[in-house]
Amino acid sequence: MGKYVQTAILIAIITHVMLLFALPRGLMHVAMQRLGAAGENAWHSGERVTARSRQIVRPSPDFAYASCVYDLSRGPVRITVTPWPSYWSLSLYGANSDNFYVIDDREARRGAAILLIRAGSRHPETDDTVVESPSGRGIALIRRLAPSPETHAGAVAAASADICAPS
Amino acid sequence: MLRRAAAWVLTVLIGVVIGAASLWATLEIGGSSFGAHFGLWSHNRAAGSTAAGPYTRAIIARDGLLALSAREALYFNLDRDAGGRPLDESCVYELRGAPLAARWWSVTLYGDDGFLVDNGDNAYSVDASRIGAGTWSIRIAPVQGSAPYWLSSRGAGRGFALTLRVYNPQDDFRPSAESLPVLSQVSCAEAH
Repeated sequence: MGKYVQTAILIAIITHVMLLFALPRGLMHVAMQRLGAAGENAWHSGERVTARSRQIVRPSPDFAYASCVYDLSRGPVRITVTPWPSYWSLSLYGANSDNFYVIDDREARRGAAILLIRAGSRHPETDDTVVESPSGRGIALIRRLAPSPETHAGAVAAASADICAPS
Repeated sequence: MLRRAAAWVLTVLIGVVIGAASLWATLEIGGSSFGAHFGLWSHNRAAGSTAAGPYTRAIIARDGLLALSAREALYFNLDRDAGGRPLDESCVYELRGAPLAARWWSVTLYGDDGFLVDNGDNAYSVDASRIGAGTWSIRIAPVQGSAPYWLSSRGAGRGFALTLRVYNPQDDFRPSAESLPVLSQVSCAEAH
């Protein structure tokens, strides 16, 4: 009987720890699959949030969103944000779900230009801000404050000049 | 022989179930420890915070995947009236507030499924850019009536919720029952 109990406890501990580490990665994996379905290393602008927006719970109708699933396996990826007259922010999330970088319009009035590299790799010569990603893949998300249909259309137009591409 | 094999299979299954259940319970308890209450508003500090370890990372991913960092935005939720009853379409509510120590804020109404309510009213959200300085009042009802600011609860039924988002909170922003907007019930339909 003892060996059964010991085995069950050991398996319980292994399961607990494995699921603990798998949960954030699994949720991010699903998010990357959804957001990257139309292609990685490219920005995709979402439609204005309405009652028909049902991908993520509690979507904010105040923002125009753009997302880019980045992949650094072929080298650095350049990410730029075109300035926007109201609040905007760029957030970077690693494959383990950590929000490892955020910049907003208070810090970067004239927009942002970032060279995203794999953590630990050589920093290339560039005028861009070099940011190290803890993982090879992840999600970049731009939020532009655009609470009305008119401002949302303007934000989508501004987003068309954003870059997310291998450098 | 067959009985022994069955006993081992059962042992492994029990181990997996205990492992999964203990993690679920740990995240539930850990997640609630991130909760805070200010008046009728509840706030989850996990969303938008930085993971300090594998447990906080799992809680943050579960409760606020891809959320804005706390420096950028704070989220507050309200789904009960002062009497503890779920918010109901058959009632009219008023949300009154003073300016918040933040750059910008918004209040959004969500159905009990966490999505915007499909009522065609296009009155999902009221934000600071539409409301001038000073104190303000938003009507939460199925019809706008004479109210200047309105969140439509038409078609929301029972159990809808309000989310207050506070963007770029100032260093001296201290959420409290007094500083956050206050919900009061104006009236309820007869059937209620």
